[in-house]
Amino acid sequence: MKNTEFTRRAFLKSGVATSAALAAAPSLLNGAMAQEADLAPYKAAKIDWQQFKGETITVAVIPATYFDNLITLAPQFEALTGITVRFEKIPPAQIRQKSVIDLTSKTGTYATHAADPMYYSLYAANKWVEPMETYLSDASLTDPAWFKLDDIVPAWRNANSVDGKLLGMPYDGEVTLQVYRKDLYDAKGLKPADDLQTFVSNAAAVHNPDARVWGAALRGVAGAGQNVYIYSSLFREFGGQWFKDGRLTVNGPEAEAALTWYVDLMRKYAPAAAQNWNWPDIADAFSQGTIGTYVDAHSSASVVNNPEKSKVIGKVAYARWPKGPSGKRVTSIWNWGFPINAALPDKRKKATWLFIQWAACAETQARTAHRFAGPAKRSGVNRISIWQDPAYVGLMRGFGDNFVEATLASLQDDTDVDWRPRVPQWPAIGDTLATAIQSALAGQATAKAALDEAQKRIEPMMRG
Amino acid sequence: MAKSLAAEPAGLGRVMSPSGTDYSRALAVRERRFATALLAPAFLALMATTTFPLLYLIWTSVHRMDLAMPFADGFVGFDNYRELLQDSRFWASLAVSLIYTGTTVVLQVVIGLALALLVMGMKRGQGLFRIIAILPVVLSPAVVGMVWRTFMLAPEFGIVDYFAIMAGLGSQNWLGDPTLALVSVVVIHTWQWTPFAFMVLLASLAALPDDIYEAARIDRASAWQRFKRITLPLLRPAIVMVIIMRTMVALTAFAAIFTVTGGGPGTATEILNLYAYRKSFTELSIGYGSALAVALLIVTVLISAVLFAVRRAR
Repeated sequence: MKNTEFTRRAFLKSGVATSAALAAAPSLLNGAMAQEADLAPYKAAKIDWQQFKGETITVAVIPATYFDNLITLAPQFEALTGITVRFEKIPPAQIRQKSVIDLTSKTGTYATHAADPMYYSLYAANKWVEPMETYLSDASLTDPAWFKLDDIVPAWRNANSVDGKLLGMPYDGEVTLQVYRKDLYDAKGLKPADDLQTFVSNAAAVHNPDARVWGAALRGVAGAGQNVYIYSSLFREFGGQWFKDGRLTVNGPEAEAALTWYVDLMRKYAPAAAQNWNWPDIADAFSQGTIGTYVDAHSSASVVNNPEKSKVIGKVAYARWPKGPSGKRVTSIWNWGFPINAALPDKRKKATWLFIQWAACAETQARTAHRFAGPAKRSGVNRISIWQDPAYVGLMRGFGDNFVEATLASLQDDTDVDWRPRVPQWPAIGDTLATAIQSALAGQATAKAALDEAQKRIEPMMRG
Repeated sequence: MAKSLAAEPAGLGRVMSPSGTDYSRALAVRERRFATALLAPAFLALMATTTFPLLYLIWTSVHRMDLAMPFADGFVGFDNYRELLQDSRFWASLAVSLIYTGTTVVLQVVIGLALALLVMGMKRGQGLFRIIAILPVVLSPAVVGMVWRTFMLAPEFGIVDYFAIMAGLGSQNWLGDPTLALVSVVVIHTWQWTPFAFMVLLASLAALPDDIYEAARIDRASAWQRFKRITLPLLRPAIVMVIIMRTMVALTAFAAIFTVTGGGPGTATEILNLYAYRKSFTELSIGYGSALAVALLIVTVLISAVLFAVRRAR
């Protein structure tokens, strides 16, 4: 009897909750409608937004707040253009494979997808995507004075270009930064590291595993976008060159020095588990107060500042990458861009371009960032002008000391187009390198042995 | 296989026809056609979903199909296989596959048999024990992998690590150390699938005749003698069957290792299946990946053939 009563109550309760949600829905809808009515900023563009009315396109994105915000605003795009957009969310680990399979089979399932910048060389080699230039220069499709291509972060546009041709429009991006615990550093009189040596000595100074504080952590889990993401910066900072005499080279003294530094730091000052960590794990551990400093994407700031989970709010500060022995700081150039699938019929390609133009324009970028009604604001907007907008900058300052300055300085001065080798074989090379780094981190091989083995495997991949 | 099935009803029709009259012969022909028509959809579906993909896999494996270098694609004969024989990572992953299969199967049979013998001796609670034991089997390997990775093996936080610290072994990096990682994936697979061996062996034990044991007891055979001379020989068919089934599954295991270690650290837990997957879908070298898959198929067929031969002998 008791049981049935309990379930009935629970049922009633959930019923109340549902009806409350339903009651709230109209107000949410009204909010959306109010935004929907305001299409004037888009109509200022001297193009006919309605020219492909009736088309339907499918867009593959990853489950992330910056895309969720865009999906929320999609009804505005549909009202503006009469084009129907269907979104498919695919986890980051699978989106590359799924889109490659779609592109290679030429089924045109995804009109556009959130693309990894490292894949454009592969796309270009197979002519799977359309050059953006075709659409940017067509006056019936683009109003250059309104769209302002030059306002989009140049480093990201370069990262998405092959042989000077832009293949994917940056939508949201990130740079890697030093994130550290201001309170721990202040207590020891430390400053954020200006070079990699100081980064290690800082980690050593705050390292105290008995009190459950580890000095530092970096991504250790294997993957072209995981441990290689951090290692590539180190490799370049140690003076490494991906191409020696036109030959892709991943071993050699600079590479060994970079990997040895990485392995030593992880062994001495990171929790043992960090070897299998990706960025969310690091950010989680940091937000629980167990990590002194880490270098990772600036977007992880929203995790370490999550009021529901974080114990370190107000104690976080940021700095640019520490300099390497070569005197360089090298940050990541990462962005999710939107390419146009070449397998689409002509009309749908153009409809897709309208979607991309809408998603990447300053107005939508602002509406999905500081002007977004929901709780999640984006930290990776693609427009320099928004990064200079006091409303946006004010919001970003909430993430901690020096956040905006470090991010902007990194974006403008520390990016390096040759951060990772941009070749069509990257998926294979990235995976091989990731395995090599992980085996060195795990102590399965020395840095030299791991890298020499990787070089041996990579050479046949580069032969035509 | 499907062809012989198609012929069977027609054969039956002929046997059943009363005499050699023209009418009945025509009837038999019609019936055979009708039977073929009925079987055709299933036969075609089977061809389309199993035989055709297999042939296509073999076809792909004699081509170079590299998405990163589409201009170099084409027929290469046995080049992929020649390359495979010189590929140290292929041999390493084959070794990992064999170690993984060998240890998990032995552990499953030994532990499963021990549990079955213990449970047979239980007066009460057998039913409950069976239900509890079957739980891991019904879970998806991917879920099992996630559970072990996060709740059981995570250093500092996991249950296994907690016990290791309690036992004075200290915190271990279960999935980060090459040897421990291999041990961990073996333990996970054993944990999940031992109940299967246990259930099969328990059912066979229950079916063993009591009178032989009684006779043995009268002859004053010790418990060990009874086990060695009676139980084991009588259970032999069941044990061999369990070994065959578990070996085939272990050789082609994928999901649990993929979620727990992804083949890492480095390549310490990279079984052949996983290597073929990475070559095909991460490195986009589909021709060579297919050759690896065919190699795995050959290994599996060979091992199964040996096991079936063992089963038939004696």
